[in-house]
This record gives sequence, C-alpha cells and structure tokens, in this order.
Amino acid sequence: MPGVTIKGLTKRYGDLAALEGLDLRVEPGELVSLLGPSGCGKTTTLRLVAGFLRPEAGEIWVGDRCLSSPTSVVPPERRRMAMIFQSYALWPHMTVAQNVAYGLRLKPGVPKAAREARVKEMLKVVQLEGFESRYPGELSGGQQQRVAVARALVVEPEILLLDEPLSNLDANLREEMRFEIRRLHETFAITTLYVTHDQAEAMVISDRVAVLFRGRVVQVGTAEDLFQRPQTRFVAEFIGKTNLVDVIAAEPGVVTRGALRLRVPLTGLMPGASVVLSIRPHEIGLVTRGQCASPEHNVLTGVVQRASYLGDAVDYQIRLSGSDVALRVTAAPPALVRPGEAVTLAVAPEACVPLAEGRFAC
Amino acid sequence: MDRSLPVWVLAALALVLLMALPLGWLGYMSVSSETGATLSHYREVFTDPHLQKALWNTVVLAFWVGLASLAIGSPIAWLTARTDLPGKRLIRGLILASFVTPPFLGAFAWVMLAGPNAGLLNKLYRAWTGAAEPLVNIFSMPGLIFVVSIYTFPYVFIMLANTLELIASDLEDAASILGASRVRVALTVTLPMVLPAILSGFILAVLQALALFGSPAILALPAGFHTITTQIWALFQYPPKVEMAAAFSVPLFLATALLLLIQKQLLGRRGYATIGGKGGARRRIPLGPWRLPALAGCLGVMACSIFLPYGILAKAAVARAWAQPLAAENLTLANFALTFGHGATRSAIVNTLELGIMTACVGAGLAALLAYVVNRKLIPGHQLLAFLALAPVVIPGVVLAVALFVAYTRPPLVLYGSLWILFVAYLTKEMPVGYSQSDATFKGVHPELEEAGRILGAGRLRVLGEITAPLARSGIIATWCFVFIGVIRELSASIILFTPNTKVISVVIFDLKEEGQFGAIAVLGLFMLGMTLAAVVVMQTLLGRDVIGTKD
Amino acid sequence: MNTRRVGALALTLVLAAIPASAQDARVEAARREGKVVWYTSLALSSSERVAKLFEAAYPGIGVEVHRTGSQRILQRVMQELQANLRLVDVIHTSDAGHFVLLKAKKLLMKYTPAGVDAFPPGFKDRDGYSYGLRATVNVIAYNSKVVPAAEAPRTWKDLLDPKWKGKLVTAHPGYSGVIATHVLALVHLYGWDYFQQLAQNRLMLVQSAVDPAGVVASGERPVAVNGGDYTFYQTRKKGNPVEIVYPKEGVPLVVSPTAIAAGAPHPSAAKLFTDFTFSREVQQVLADTEGLYTGHPDVTYPADKPKLGELRLLHTDPDELEKRNEEIRKRFVEFFGA
Repeated sequence: MPGVTIKGLTKRYGDLAALEGLDLRVEPGELVSLLGPSGCGKTTTLRLVAGFLRPEAGEIWVGDRCLSSPTSVVPPERRRMAMIFQSYALWPHMTVAQNVAYGLRLKPGVPKAAREARVKEMLKVVQLEGFESRYPGELSGGQQQRVAVARALVVEPEILLLDEPLSNLDANLREEMRFEIRRLHETFAITTLYVTHDQAEAMVISDRVAVLFRGRVVQVGTAEDLFQRPQTRFVAEFIGKTNLVDVIAAEPGVVTRGALRLRVPLTGLMPGASVVLSIRPHEIGLVTRGQCASPEHNVLTGVVQRASYLGDAVDYQIRLSGSDVALRVTAAPPALVRPGEAVTLAVAPEACVPLAEGRFAC
Repeated sequence: MDRSLPVWVLAALALVLLMALPLGWLGYMSVSSETGATLSHYREVFTDPHLQKALWNTVVLAFWVGLASLAIGSPIAWLTARTDLPGKRLIRGLILASFVTPPFLGAFAWVMLAGPNAGLLNKLYRAWTGAAEPLVNIFSMPGLIFVVSIYTFPYVFIMLANTLELIASDLEDAASILGASRVRVALTVTLPMVLPAILSGFILAVLQALALFGSPAILALPAGFHTITTQIWALFQYPPKVEMAAAFSVPLFLATALLLLIQKQLLGRRGYATIGGKGGARRRIPLGPWRLPALAGCLGVMACSIFLPYGILAKAAVARAWAQPLAAENLTLANFALTFGHGATRSAIVNTLELGIMTACVGAGLAALLAYVVNRKLIPGHQLLAFLALAPVVIPGVVLAVALFVAYTRPPLVLYGSLWILFVAYLTKEMPVGYSQSDATFKGVHPELEEAGRILGAGRLRVLGEITAPLARSGIIATWCFVFIGVIRELSASIILFTPNTKVISVVIFDLKEEGQFGAIAVLGLFMLGMTLAAVVVMQTLLGRDVIGTKD
Repeated sequence: MNTRRVGALALTLVLAAIPASAQDARVEAARREGKVVWYTSLALSSSERVAKLFEAAYPGIGVEVHRTGSQRILQRVMQELQANLRLVDVIHTSDAGHFVLLKAKKLLMKYTPAGVDAFPPGFKDRDGYSYGLRATVNVIAYNSKVVPAAEAPRTWKDLLDPKWKGKLVTAHPGYSGVIATHVLALVHLYGWDYFQQLAQNRLMLVQSAVDPAGVVASGERPVAVNGGDYTFYQTRKKGNPVEIVYPKEGVPLVVSPTAIAAGAPHPSAAKLFTDFTFSREVQQVLADTEGLYTGHPDVTYPADKPKLGELRLLHTDPDELEKRNEEIRKRFVEFFGA
C-alpha cells in the first residue's frame, strides 16, 4: 500500500490561483481529510491527485511513481485509484451489480465468476445484499452512497479518494455514515484522501486532518492537535468555537491587555510584542460561591451579558470588568448565573494558546 | 497525449469550413464587378425604387408578424401555463403540429380557403349574406401577415410558456390577497416578470418572417408586391444578377444578426429568462365561467392553423376540382396516381428522403461531437466552436443559398448540379437546431458520470461508448429528428440551388403551384406533413415529454 | 389503352418512313444511351402524354420530363451551362427569342427532323437549328357561369373597362414565353399605354400560361386576359364552364420551337425523340387531345376550334422578342408590381 506525496502543487485558472505551493504527505494506509471552507482548494487538490487536472507547478507521487507534474500527467484510468463523488455518479442505465462490477471488468485476470463473487461479497459488506438487479433510480440517497462505496472498494485501489460523499445526506444519516466510513477504513486500510467542509466529520473520520485555506495547507495534525494547539487564527476559529484575545507581552509568562492581566505558558517573547490568544469556551470555568479557584489559574471577574440554555450545555457571554473583552463560556447546565449578575471565572494558563502571528493574514 | 484529440480537431475544422467559406464568397461577390471592387451594387440596392419597396414591405411584414404572434401566442401561453384551462394536452399537441407545418403549405391551403372569389370561406360568406365582395382577400399584405403569424406564434408560445413555468404562485398570490383581480395580477405582476421572454419571442417571430420565402411567393406575388426574399430569388432569373443578389442579401444578414444580438442580451447567457424567486409550487388560476370561452378561443386559433388548412388540403387531394363541393362525382384518386406516377415527383421524394436521412445522420453526429467537445472543454477555443455551430441561425435560407451558389459553382469545388450542394446547405442551416438539442443533451449528462468511469480504469473513448452514449442516446435521436424535419420542409435555399435532377418535394410543390395543380400539391403536401408528424411522434416518445418543453 | 394503340401505330409508320438500316442503327444507339432528357414548357399533362407515347413506341428508352415555364427553362439551361453541366438533351420553350439567344451562343445542335420541309416558314429556323413543335394563340377566356355571354369582353380593348376591376387574371411574361409573345404583340398594337391602363383594373398575377385556365374555371377570377388557347380548350373539354374569345383585333401567334442542345449527353436518343414528336401521328395527337395548332400540313383539327387560317394572326419576330425580352419583363413588373 503506497503513500501519497504532494510537493509544491500549484494550479491556476487564468489569473486566479486555486492552489499555491501545497505540500502534504499521506502515509500508507492513512486517512487524511482535506478540510476547509469553499474555495480553499480542497476539491481541486483531490482532482489533481485523481489526474483530472494538470498542475502548473509541483508534483504528485504515489509510492515511487511520479503521477503528475506540469509536463506529464498519467491519465486517471492508469493511476490505480478509486473515487467516490459527491453526487455518487452511479450510472442510471446499469444495475447495481453492473455499476459495482464496472472497474473489475477492466482489470485483467478477473474471470466472470470471480467478478460476480466479489461483487456479491462487497454488497454484503456495505449491507446491500440482494440489491444486485436494482437500478440506481430505485434506491434512496443512503443506499446509492453505499453502492458508490462498494464500487470503489471492490477494485482494491491503491489510493481511495472521497469528495464530500456525505453532504447530500440528511443530518442523522450523515452522522451514522461517518462511523460507517471510519469502520470501513479500519477494515480495508487503504490510503485515503477525504475532502469535506464539515469539521466534525473530519475529526471523526480521519487519522489526520489537513486544514486548507486559499490554496495552502495551514496546519496538519490529529484532531486533538488542531483543537488544542491551533497554530493560526483561522484554524482556531474553523475548528470548534473559540475566544480570540489580542494581548501584548509584558514580562516572561505574562500578557496584558489594558487592565487585563493573564498568565500564559509563553516565554521568550519580546516585551511589547503583540500576540493573539485562543481560549476555548469550555476551558473557562465558572467559580461558584463557596468554590476556590486553583492558585495557578487566572482568576477574572465580569458581568453576565447573556446565558442561552442549549439542553446539553449553557452558553454564556461574560463581559470582563475593567476591560473591553467579552468571553464566551460553555458550561454544563443548569445556568448558575443570570444576565446582569457578577461572576468569577478561572482559566488555566495552558488553556490560553498563543497563535502564530504574521505568517498568514487569515 | 490524448488519443481522442484528432477526432475533436477534425470536427472543429469541418465546422469552420462549412461556415466561413460561403460567407466569405458572399461578401466578395457583393462588392465585385468586372472592373474591380465596387460599392455600386449596394448603391443600386438602396436607390432602386423596386428594391426599396421590397425592403419596406419586408419591414412591414416582419413587424406586424411579430406583433400578431405576440397577440396570439401570449394569451395561449398564459392560459396553458397558469390557469385551469381544459384540454391543455390537446392544445399543446396542436401547437406543436402548427410549429412543424411548413408555412408555405399553410399559405397554399389558405389560398384555397380565402382566395377572394373561389376561396371556400368567401363562398360560404357570400352564400349566407348575399354580399358581392369577399369577406377576406388572402392575396394582400394583411393576408400574408395573417398566414405567417399563425405558423410563427408557436415561437412566442414556447418562450413564454417555459418562462411562466418558472414563476412561483406565491408572487401572484401576494397580489391577489391585496385585492387584485385575476386580470390585474396578470398584467401587473406576471407580465413584467416575463417581459424579457416576450421580447425574445417577438424577435424570434420577426426573424422567421424576415427569412420566409414560400409564403410571400404564394401570397404577395399575385398581389403584385415583393419582399426581400422573393426579390433575391427574382434576381436569379435569367440573366442572373448574382452580384446584386449578394449585395441585397448582406443587409438582410446584418439585420438578422443585430436582432439576434439584442435577443441574446435580453436573455443573458443562459438562454432563457431568469426570474427572481425560487420557483416554488404553482397553483392553477381558476377561470370560472371563462373556462369554455377560453378553450373556444384557443381552438379557434388552432382551427386557423390546423383544422381548416389540413381539411382543405385533404379535400383537394381527393377532389377532381378543388373548388367544387365534395359530391360523389367529384371524388377521385387520380391526383394520387398523377403525383406518384409522375417521374419528377418520385425522384423528388427519393431525393428528399435521401437528403433528409443523410443530413440528419451527419448533422446529428457532427452536432453531438461538437456539443461533447464544448461541454467537456476538450480543446482550447471550444467557446468559439459553440459560437460557430450556432452562427448559421443568423443567415436567412435565401442568403445562404446565394452564398453557396457563389462558393460552389466554380472550380475547384463544383457542387452545383448534384445533391451535394443541397446537402451542404441543409447541414449548415440545421446545425444550430441540432447543436442546441445536443448541447442540452450533454448538459444533462453529469461529467462525474464519466469521471467515475475513468478513475475505475476506462479510457476516454470507452467511457464515451459505454457511459455517455447510452445516456445521451435519446437526446441524440431527438437531434436527428429535429434535423430531419427541418430538411424535408426546407424551401428558401432549395429554390435557388436545385437543378431539374435534384428537385426536392418542397420545390416540386412550388413548381406545381406555378401551374395551378392544386390536387397534386395537396397530395404532396399531405405526404410531407405525414413524414414530419411521424418524426415528431418518434421524438415525443423518446424524450418522454412534450418536445416544446412544458411539463404538466 | 388508346395511347398504346396510337403508339404502336406511330412506331409502324415512323419505321416505314425512314430507310430501315439507318433507322435500326439509330434506335440501337438510342437504346444504348437509355434515355432522353427533355426540358419542356408544354403543359405537364400534354408533355407526359407525348413522353408515354414515345416510351411505348421505343421500349427501353426513357423520357425524363422536366416541365416548367419558358423563362425558367432558359434560366436553368444558362445556369447549368455556366457551371459546365451537360444535363439537357432537348430544349422546348414557347419563347422564340430564346432560340435566337441560344443559337447565338452556339448552344444548339444543328438538326433537321424528318418531314418538316412541308411546314410553313414560321415553323422553321432558317439556319436549321430549331423547329416549331406546336403553336397556340393568346386569347381571352371567361367563366360562363359567372359572366353571361352578352357581357363578356370581345376585344383586347374591352378589358380596359373599369367594370372588370378585380375580376381579371394575367399570366407573367417573366415566367412564360407564351405571355411574353402576347405582351410584345399588344405593345405593337396599342403601345405600352395599354398595359398601363390595364393595370388599373388590379389584375391577379399568376406565373404560367397554363394557370389562368384553372383560375377562370374555379371562378377565382372570372376573366383571363391572356393564356394559351389550348389550355382553355382542354379545361372546357373536361367539363368546366370556360368560354374562349378570339378578339377581332388579332390573336398573338406563339410558335413554340424545339431544339437539341449542343453538348447533349444522349444525342441519338434526342434525335430519335425529335423525329418522333414531328411525326404526323404525334402532331395529330397534339391537335386532337391537347387542342394545339401544329405546322404539319396533314393534321386535321377538331370542329369546335377555329382554324389558323380563319383567325387574324399577330406575328412576332423572334429576334425582336429576344432583344426586347428584358424590357418586356421590366415594364410588366413596373405596371403590375411583381
């Protein structure tokens, strides 16, 4: 099972640059998601890997073969890949069995009997046993999607590409299918590239997630890496909710904003340098009457501006005293304070994550 | 290197040759003379009083046909698309029938109906009222306008009906709730939204009227006036003044191009009127007591374009003397014997079928290839290809014929005298229709369906054969039918390019008209209609919906 | 069938008229050619009849009939020759001027059909290129059901009466040679003013000289101001209420020549066919069933038609017809509009 190496990939449409020097490494058997808002270049990257597009610069390697470069592109039919499309792209004039068997027919050395057996087996795997002679027009969205999966997996591709395969399903089905896809990946362990704009999906499905913005990879890492240690403002805001606070370094380990003073695990900053901090809402604790905050924590006071009951959490907005900063806080229900009341907050220094500043204007 | 590239490039070259060559010759001829380049032909065109008159007549004709088509087509479109009018399928079917009826055949039938003295309607009128003057004289400008309009209004209908389909009822409901009557809603809410479509339809009707040859030849010449098309044809009489014909053709061509440009601007790039709103559910507006009168009105229009003309053609086909009543002694099958026994007719039928089938096959194939190339962006400059494929719609048939005559009656490529020159003319003329239909077909085949095949190991040509072709098949056959129908009824180009060996049915009908052989004309006309309607039925079955596009 | 018997008779007599061996050789050559292509302005039914007679007499040689108006035939011939197409064998129109033109351009083959020596001079080209196949005269015709005999027009001048406004039909010199001849003859008689005045009566325009008969018979316009008398005669014979008037001022005589094209693709068949059409039998057929006049001295004419000798004929000179052809057409269009 080979891995995929993308080096300096650049794709332009006229004056518009869809990709600018994108680098990414997918290890053999790994599932990496390309995550980002629309227009960030994730589908373009996928289509370049599939061989439908030619890059202006850069290379795409699968294993030890260079499949794409500005001067030569191995056509899609010879790349030994499979793809699941957003629209599923099932051929309406062929039965389910014919759809699934299509790629096998083009593989040398698979006689008819063996083909039919493998098709049957794969339909069982995706829980569509007995659907061989149905037509795609007779199936529901979820069923069609599973046929698309079966069609891609049955040819035992070296690389599997998925282009937002769940976005046409309704919310419940989507959640269910996320786990299904993860399960299939763990069963078959094919090197996979998965494109999505839904961060929850990416975090459930992937081994690692690559966040794309305006044609570049801004951060790659596990879900935890991205959530706990976002490197840029964009990643911090894209993955989960966060509070972003612009502060200035005062002494080593201390940053200030006006009257606000926070201890952070950051040394080696020039005094006076500006930093952006990311503080996750659920990592800010509400100190109730009778509780004591831990001595290492930053203790802040403020006034509750809003408290919204969400069922499994309460979402507060708290204006800090003596500052222009308002923090969003998420805590378990019931609501402990109401709008207008004073409240005390405790934040661990480790929860105040400084973001890389100045590298990307995002 | 993509192995399929040469195929696409070849198709592109064929198209360029087809279009560019004749037009180039046309321009050249219009300024050529024995003493070198000259503008004298243009000068003559614009100063000769006869030619001026022909120009004026054409403008008058086109303008009034546009208005009349609007007046007829808009209410019917509104009634079928928005109200609970009964018998909608019937009406749409009849409109389709009048869309495919060649206007010159209709003109001819109306001569038998409304000739001032012998016309059936006038006879009945005189019998009832005892008047000496006829009710209508079809040999007049109003008569010509009438006949052309009843076969041109389907263009307006189609444009408008398709657009009205897209308008959600809630936009109109909002007005009704505030107290507006049905009519007021129609005029103040619906009308402004469909104005681009209306104007488009008007322009299409005008363009049709500009390019027609048969109807003016049948109705205007006996009344003593010319239009541009009949005048161009007359310039080909011996001694032929080809340079003058060329010079006279160029303004017609330019006018057509200008109108089409305006129409394109009105519709934007997508080619149909875009409406605001999300196009939600459409409710039928109840007509109440107006239901039956509205239906009667629609059927009245259809009587003019279908029932009456087809009826009189049927009568003339079996009558010894068409003007006499259908008594037993007047019935005969001799007309059939004469028509099909006559050698020239038989060979014309064979020619028409040969040309129809050949042009449809090559035309559909070429259109399909081109549409595929453009839709999948297979070669650089594909937008230019789409433009060229649609460009011939700008050239009226008569002008095209003059251009082809000039291009192909000199070495090295002398096609004149053979069926080939007709083939080239038909292929060029029907390419826009064929391409539009193919384009719509391929737009309906999602590129991902092909990409799914390729990523699984199929090369581009295999994908074309196993995936694209089966899915595009019914659309391509519909293209074939469109081209076939267009070819068998073509007159304005054929009338200039034919030779005695290469006559087609429409030319024979025209010849027979010049001899007053009504019976034979009726037989041939019905035969032509039969072939056309058969092709339409095939198309309708394949596409699974009304060819004129409106669904219920 | 009647035609077959006539055909067989014709064959026998024609065969008897020409030395056997030369005839056989020619028939053989014609059979090898297989067909003769005939551009004719004779009414379609009449042309078809002649063609069928020939095919019955000479099985194996087909006649391709292409019938259209005289002016159209000339246009065809000129257009084809300009493009170097040799399609036509025998050219037959009703415009004597055409043959002056064609002869001048060296587009005709010199050929004298058998038996034409006895024909009157008006039927023979002095250089031997074309010969008058048939003749007709231009007449006035009216629908007897619509117009009582007492009120019918009797002279060309009668037609100028405003009471005929909207009731007249004319064929077109731009299409028909018969009509072109008519126009020239009347211009000689009364000048162009005649047509200028006639146009005030708002005539219906048709193209072919054959057409007015149909128009009058149907009652669409009750009076025709011109047209070949043979067409009216045929229409009347079919039972239509058409009456013919031979104006006393004179009737324009139209002799319709025929000739073989210079580069004819089937020369032997063409010659055979031409001979056939000038044979007494075929000329008699033209007179009997078609109502035509011919140049053949031995042909007898139906009793219900005036003999040529009884009529005051207006002759036109072919050279003048050719020279003034353009003028005729142009001025006609000027007065009548199209």
